[in-house]
Amino acid sequence: MPPTGPIDRRLRISGLLLILGLLVECLCLLWSRPIAFVLLVGLGGGLIAAGVFFFLYSLLFAAHSGKDEKPDGPQAG
Amino acid sequence: MPTAAILILILFTALFVAVLVFRPAITIHPGGKIFAFGVLFFLPLFCLVEGVDSEMERSKSTAFCLSCHIMEPYGKSLRVDDATYLAAAHFQNHRVPADEACYTCHTDYAMFGTFKAKLGGLRHLYVHYLRKEPAPEDIQLHEPYNNRECLHCHLGARSFEQGAVHNADPDTLPAVKANKLSCISSGCHDVVHNLRQLDQVKFWGGAN
Repeated sequence: MPPTGPIDRRLRISGLLLILGLLVECLCLLWSRPIAFVLLVGLGGGLIAAGVFFFLYSLLFAAHSGKDEKPDGPQAG
Repeated sequence: MPTAAILILILFTALFVAVLVFRPAITIHPGGKIFAFGVLFFLPLFCLVEGVDSEMERSKSTAFCLSCHIMEPYGKSLRVDDATYLAAAHFQNHRVPADEACYTCHTDYAMFGTFKAKLGGLRHLYVHYLRKEPAPEDIQLHEPYNNRECLHCHLGARSFEQGAVHNADPDTLPAVKANKLSCISSGCHDVVHNLRQLDQVKFWGGAN
């Protein structure tokens, strides 16, 4: 399904960041080496945090744009 | 949580996230919004916390420490067939858990000790990958070994409190307990890993 608006696009970017982060975490959990620990916290943690923050940012943006688009009230005349 | 359970949780979370990536329009409905919040916020953070916790636990294992080739001689020193070798005697007689032998003696039994030990581990990685690493026998402790780590187990033990040598001089025990007389470097229990002598000793082939 094609994206229907900016919020959908942001959800997709957030989702892709999260999937990448979860994939890195998965690989690090399977690879029992000290460098895997650093990759999990640094790369995996960073991607997941970025995904979550991007999602929260998109919620905030959606709330703001929703407020901007709201009509002031019924117009007389 | 076992690693297998965390992996399953991660796979399910990734699957749910993929649903949102391919069908973002489901967030139009209130149920979809709640689903998106759970899948894009709670579940990934829960997976991350559980994953880091699992790695922290795994990083305490003897196998984890010995997975670096530079630590191999230290692992070998745990199997020296000589009771005067402090690390070997503790490992072979299970005075420390055999599967967490390195961590048990080299962690800091104070607040944030585990955190400090892991920061020390990061420094090892930095030296390993970005600097010229020293020969195993030249590796030094970050700071002098604190008696607190020994006393964590030995304090109050009969063999320690009533040991003949410990009580030969009435000043010895208080000095040891105050960390003024080192257990290791004052000439009493100073044979620890002694890597330089490993080619001159016999090894125990036990099943630890």
